[in-house]
Amino acid sequence: MWVLKKIAIMLVIVLIGIQFVPTTYNASDNVSETDFVNIFNVPHDIKNLLKTSCYDCHSNNTHYPWYSKIQPGAWIMEGHINDGKKELNFSTFGDYSGRRKKSKLKSIISQIRDDEMPISSYTFIHRNAKLSEKDKFMLDKCLNNLRDSL
Amino acid sequence: MRTLKLRLRILTIAILSLTAMSCKDNKKEHNNEDGHHTEMTIDNENHSDMNHDNSDGHHEESSEKVDRNVETSTLKNATTTLIIDAYIQIKNGLVADSKENAAQGGEALLTAFTSFDMSKLSGEIHREYMEIYESAKEQAEHIVKSPIDHQREHFEVLSTDINDLIALLGTEKTLYQDFCPMANRGKGAIWLSETKEIKNPYFGSKMMTCGKMQKQIN
Repeated sequence: MWVLKKIAIMLVIVLIGIQFVPTTYNASDNVSETDFVNIFNVPHDIKNLLKTSCYDCHSNNTHYPWYSKIQPGAWIMEGHINDGKKELNFSTFGDYSGRRKKSKLKSIISQIRDDEMPISSYTFIHRNAKLSEKDKFMLDKCLNNLRDSL
Repeated sequence: MRTLKLRLRILTIAILSLTAMSCKDNKKEHNNEDGHHTEMTIDNENHSDMNHDNSDGHHEESSEKVDRNVETSTLKNATTTLIIDAYIQIKNGLVADSKENAAQGGEALLTAFTSFDMSKLSGEIHREYMEIYESAKEQAEHIVKSPIDHQREHFEVLSTDINDLIALLGTEKTLYQDFCPMANRGKGAIWLSETKEIKNPYFGSKMMTCGKMQKQIN
């Protein structure tokens, strides 16, 4: 029994200990001029869908739920954000060249259609980020229109 | 004289081990070695400011030289030939339904872009080249690591990029611009081929001869 107790105490100490390890906080106060929603005139509901399902990892403004503020949640979140922003950053979408805006839109559309994004390891915890069939249909239509307009 | 010889020997060993450890391209590194010997004898006595972790400082000194020489001896290519060859390699991989071959072509394309000499491009042409390059690089990176259906999606964009690159900088090669109306979810997509015969990279063996030639380049 005492071995189990020791392990439990150790675990608690480690869990408390890792709370003091800092992580970078991905949030800025204002929405940048180059943000996707500022350079394209998208309807309000599409804006909301993008914000809940994409912006946490693909922008400079993450909405942090409580469990992503404590370790090890914050680390996992940080990893998602770093990977996500490397591929696509909605906050700086306006900085991409016309060519890349088009190809990014093409990839966004196909990732959503194939259920590859939002990534399942993320929606598993963030249930509200999951897109319904109706959401997907709306996004597909709107993003395809944008893509054709470029 | 003796110490000089000894130092030379240590330096040679240090450089040999460094080149052995850090070489990506054997051929290039070999050229460097020759250059080092002459430089070493001249610089032999100037080690006073080189006291890093190594007590004698020789390792640091030689590693700096390796870097410098790699930079000057990297062969740059001013033509689009290597880029197009790598693109064709990806295309043929997709025609053969081979994810691996396409991925290898993707690697080759990334290498070809790094060895492309853009120092002669200026102004607007340079700006356009950079846009094409950034997009093509992104597509190539995805082709390297993705399953074949994704490779094909990125190949649609890549084909436009390479086609625009040829329009911008030209090529000595004879190429054919082909069009598949069914690719890109029915929106259609072009590809470039080195052969007149239609071999469809977007569907491979499923629809090998789907598509038509639109234009001959050169």
